[in-house]
Amino acid sequence: MLEIKVGPNDEIILSGRFDASQAERAETFLAAVTGSRVVDLAELQYISSLGLGVLLATQKRLMDRGESLKLVNVRGHVRDILHFAGFDRVFAIEPPPA
Amino acid sequence: MTPERRSFPREVGSLPAVFDFIDEFFDRAAIGGEHRVPVHFAVEELFTNLIKYGGGREEILVELRREPGRLAVSLTDLGGQPFDIRSAPDARVDLGPRERTPGGLGIHILKRMVDGIDYEYVDGRSTTTIFKKLG
Repeated sequence: MLEIKVGPNDEIILSGRFDASQAERAETFLAAVTGSRVVDLAELQYISSLGLGVLLATQKRLMDRGESLKLVNVRGHVRDILHFAGFDRVFAIEPPPA
Repeated sequence: MTPERRSFPREVGSLPAVFDFIDEFFDRAAIGGEHRVPVHFAVEELFTNLIKYGGGREEILVELRREPGRLAVSLTDLGGQPFDIRSAPDARVDLGPRERTPGGLGIHILKRMVDGIDYEYVDGRSTTTIFKKLG
C-alpha cells in the first residue's frame, strides 16, 4: 500500500509501495499539486514503471509552469530504479544525508 | 524445491496477491530479501504488459522455481499474442522530461534488474521467464 502525506515543510512524503494498483490514487493526488515541491522518498520501498510514469507526468506539467518536483532521500532499490530510468535528467535527486 | 504455480485474474487489482505469492515462496525457499524488489518489478512489468497488450482472455499463470544458483519466474498467457521482450528496443533514458514519450521504460529497467530472460511461444502459450542469480 502506498501512503501519501504532506510533511511539516509542505514536502510530499511517499511511503510504502508505489505499484500499478496504487497509480490512480497517486495520480489524483499529484494532479492537484502546484508550485515547486520536495518529494521525500525515504520510506518508499518500491516503485514500478507506472509509478515512474505518474512522477514524470507531474514533472512535465509543473515544468510547463516553470515549477518542478525535487526528489530527496532517494535510496536502495528505488535509487537503482530511478537511475536505470535516467531520471537524474528529469528531476533534481538527492540521496539521504551521509 | 517443487515449483509453485498459481493463476491470477488479468487485472491490476491482482498485483497484491501476486506479490504475496512471490513473498511466500521467498520465505519457504529462504531467498534473500534483497532480491524481492527486482523480482517484483519484473513480474509487475510483465503482468501489466500482458493485461494491456497480451491479447489473451484466460487468467495469467505465474510459476516460481528455485534452480541451482538462481530463481526462475515464468509468466504464461494462454491464447495471447507472441511478444519477446528481448527484442524490444531500449528506451531513450538520455532524454530530458519534455522529450520523453510513454512506453518502453519498464522493459528497459526490467532488463537491467534481472540476470537473464527466456521466451517461448508454443501452441498459443506465450511464456516469458526471468532469472535472478541468488548469491
